[in-house]
Amino acid sequence: MILPFMRKPLARVMQPTVYTNMERVVFQPATYRGMQRGIDQLVGAIRPTLGPRPRVVAIDHVDYHDKTPRLVDDGGTIARLIIELPDRDADVGAMLLRDVLWRLQQQVGDGTATAAVLFQAVFRRGVHYITAGGNARRLQTFLEQGLRNILEQLNAMVVHLSGREELARIAETVCYDPPLADMLGEIFDIVGEFGRVEIRPGRSRELEREYVEGMYWERGAVSRGMLDGDGQLRTDLEESAILISDLEIKHPQQLYPPLALVIRNNIRSLLMVVGEISDSAIGFLLSNKHPEKLRVVAVKTPGHDKEQKAWALEDLAVLTGGRAFVQAAGDTFERIRREDLGFARRAWADCYNFGIIGGKGNARQLRQHIATVRAAFERTDNPNTRNLLRERIGKLLGGSATLWVGGMTQREIDERVERAKRAATALRGALREGVLPGGGVALWSCRPALEARARAATDPDERAAYRILAEAVAVPIRTIIANAGFDASETLAELKRYGPGYGFDVVRERVVPIAETGIYDPAIVTKSVAYAAITSAAQALTIDVMVHHAQPEQAPLPDLSSPKRL
Amino acid sequence: MTDEIPITEIVHALAASPDFARDGVCFAARTSGLYRSDDGGHTWQPAHNPSGTEKLLPTSAVVLSPHFAVDRTVFAGVPGAVMYSEDAGQTWHMVALASPPPFVSTLAISPHYAEDGCVFAGTVEDGVFRSGDRGAHWAAWNFGLLDLNVLSLVVSPDYARDQTLFVGTDSGIFRSTTGGRAWREVDASPEGARSTDFAPVLSLAISPQYATDGTLFAGSELRGLYRSNDRGRTWQRMGEDVLAGPINGIVLDPQYPMRPRILVLLHATLVLSADNGVTWNEWRPDLPDDQALTCVAAPLGLEDGAPLLVGTTGGEVLVVREKLFRE
Repeated sequence: MILPFMRKPLARVMQPTVYTNMERVVFQPATYRGMQRGIDQLVGAIRPTLGPRPRVVAIDHVDYHDKTPRLVDDGGTIARLIIELPDRDADVGAMLLRDVLWRLQQQVGDGTATAAVLFQAVFRRGVHYITAGGNARRLQTFLEQGLRNILEQLNAMVVHLSGREELARIAETVCYDPPLADMLGEIFDIVGEFGRVEIRPGRSRELEREYVEGMYWERGAVSRGMLDGDGQLRTDLEESAILISDLEIKHPQQLYPPLALVIRNNIRSLLMVVGEISDSAIGFLLSNKHPEKLRVVAVKTPGHDKEQKAWALEDLAVLTGGRAFVQAAGDTFERIRREDLGFARRAWADCYNFGIIGGKGNARQLRQHIATVRAAFERTDNPNTRNLLRERIGKLLGGSATLWVGGMTQREIDERVERAKRAATALRGALREGVLPGGGVALWSCRPALEARARAATDPDERAAYRILAEAVAVPIRTIIANAGFDASETLAELKRYGPGYGFDVVRERVVPIAETGIYDPAIVTKSVAYAAITSAAQALTIDVMVHHAQPEQAPLPDLSSPKRL
Repeated sequence: MTDEIPITEIVHALAASPDFARDGVCFAARTSGLYRSDDGGHTWQPAHNPSGTEKLLPTSAVVLSPHFAVDRTVFAGVPGAVMYSEDAGQTWHMVALASPPPFVSTLAISPHYAEDGCVFAGTVEDGVFRSGDRGAHWAAWNFGLLDLNVLSLVVSPDYARDQTLFVGTDSGIFRSTTGGRAWREVDASPEGARSTDFAPVLSLAISPQYATDGTLFAGSELRGLYRSNDRGRTWQRMGEDVLAGPINGIVLDPQYPMRPRILVLLHATLVLSADNGVTWNEWRPDLPDDQALTCVAAPLGLEDGAPLLVGTTGGEVLVVREKLFRE
């Protein structure tokens, strides 16, 4: 057996910092010390925000117009707003952690403060072990092995929730705003995991929500002349035919075949989706003298790029049972037939959107199509693509909700909107992957198994890794309890006496049964926190040398207050 | 068995008073209108228009309040609208559903109607409409209902607590646990098949003890009868040898599962089981070859000798009093 002190430490010898003309190279132990300083600074700023009784962090103004400090109570935003530390060695550690936290915030909407304290705990204990002679690479391997053990234990604890009240409780653990959480609980109970939810700044002090039936796309009628001018500037078409295309309509003559077709078939309403349409073609459509015989509304193909346009065409075709005419495939309307048209019970358009209710496509094909898009969603790891696919599934499922978030001031509204968006992301995760005991209990519950693995381990690096993890998983719950003003050791001792299924409710200030009080966190958040914090801390421990590039000399900033310059 | 009704039209739905043993009141929704009987289904009179001065409206669905003896409330589906009467069919109110006019295929009423006033209308092409004010106003609530061709609809007996409904559509089953406001797909496919392979679901029946046993039956157009004992999560096919063909109706004994009697309406046959679907026996009424059975009601449950009302494609309502069950 090789004990840590018997192994020759790698790159553990004191080496001076080397300066060159262009770069500064930093070796151990300055590397770890510097990174630790940066991590400690960033975590120190985020730590007070962990738990349902967070304290607030004031961040100095960032623009010239608003000198008021920004008050923030979530770790992701704090990390995002700290963009550089003056100490460049510390900056490396801080920015490494900042990147982890920001990515986590983007992916799951919550858990950044937990990830920060967990990262710090693993890194700090890892540094102690490595500087005492441990092997960083082997420690990384065993930390990742321990992570798998943690994830398995978390998976075994997952429970699935449903219903407005349960979802509202989950939302509240993220936004700490009961009325907002209640509204989000109702919305997600209705629209589901993939449902389309838009969160917008409100028009009053209150929270308001609106549900829209059917699917809609962000493309309005190409001319207001096609809309009813009764004050709403909206046209509703009943039993409408849908012409689906991305063709560029340059001349009115291109529209003759589809218009002749609908007239021949005694169709009274036509929603025309086209890639581009010229003024002369719009003028031709507006010259219709008999709208009672045929109403035509033209809109442009939805989507910001070719792929999104192709998705929209495919979705419209499946929903309405029509065929998509595609410019790139050389399609034209010349030989259009009745079966090429889609149909819907109702279609509508206004200045900004168009929508379809009751598309007459084959329902089985639609369900199969949604299953295919869902499979693509599950396969992809790209956050942008996942968001786009989720929106696409939401559209196809029909129905959407809009939440207007009100407040007393614009700043309060903006912050509430941010919290609502984070809670919405967490709710989607909770609906998809279930929930885990909240308040740090889930991670803390992994501790006995990790301690057992540490006791059973014969390899010193493995034993160290499990000990590090066993101590680290208790740090989030300790921090939450301490932030609420309680003694963490006493409280955890009490919690141990109650056994599994109990947690400490810092709001009620007592130990409570988790299932009855609904103190849960989305499982995807807790698992992502554990994964992000432990893998990145384990990787950070393998950093031995830092190289700083010389900073270019900055030109003096213009004096914006000088009237002469302005 | 019937009189006054021309035999050229279809009986779409039948509904009987909860107090049928005493009052003998039942309604038949027919292509030519809604009819009412006060003598247990032996004679029928137009119900929409007792005075006979106006043309009758084709009626596709009918349902009675569970508290009919007190509130005298009847709902009937007519083209583009739901009609309701609060005096057992003497006077009617018509409420349009939406434009373009939907075709009401089925109606269902909350078991706690006296308290919540909830009624549901399933339509062909327009999904489910819900009224929370005893039929005065209706709104479409179809979030997640991917197939708007609704063929059957049942409400949980524990609706006040679980807010659960199921609809059978042209492409399978959907469940709502939000009182009909949002819907989720139910994978009612046979083992190994995709949910989208599932056939149209013509009929649904829910156990009176659904809150505890979670049992639900689904009758498909092409693939027979299915049962789920876990609120629709998994399904087992029943009576494969006997139940071949479209299942137009399913009736469970009011004391199910204590008395596990099931009645299934096949194309032209009543198929019955007294042992929760382990064994089945058939009863075929004497019908012309071109006629089939469309709907069934068991106002006094599935007691041997208790009347069964059976609608046909010929427009007749058969009153069956045979001893059909063999223990």
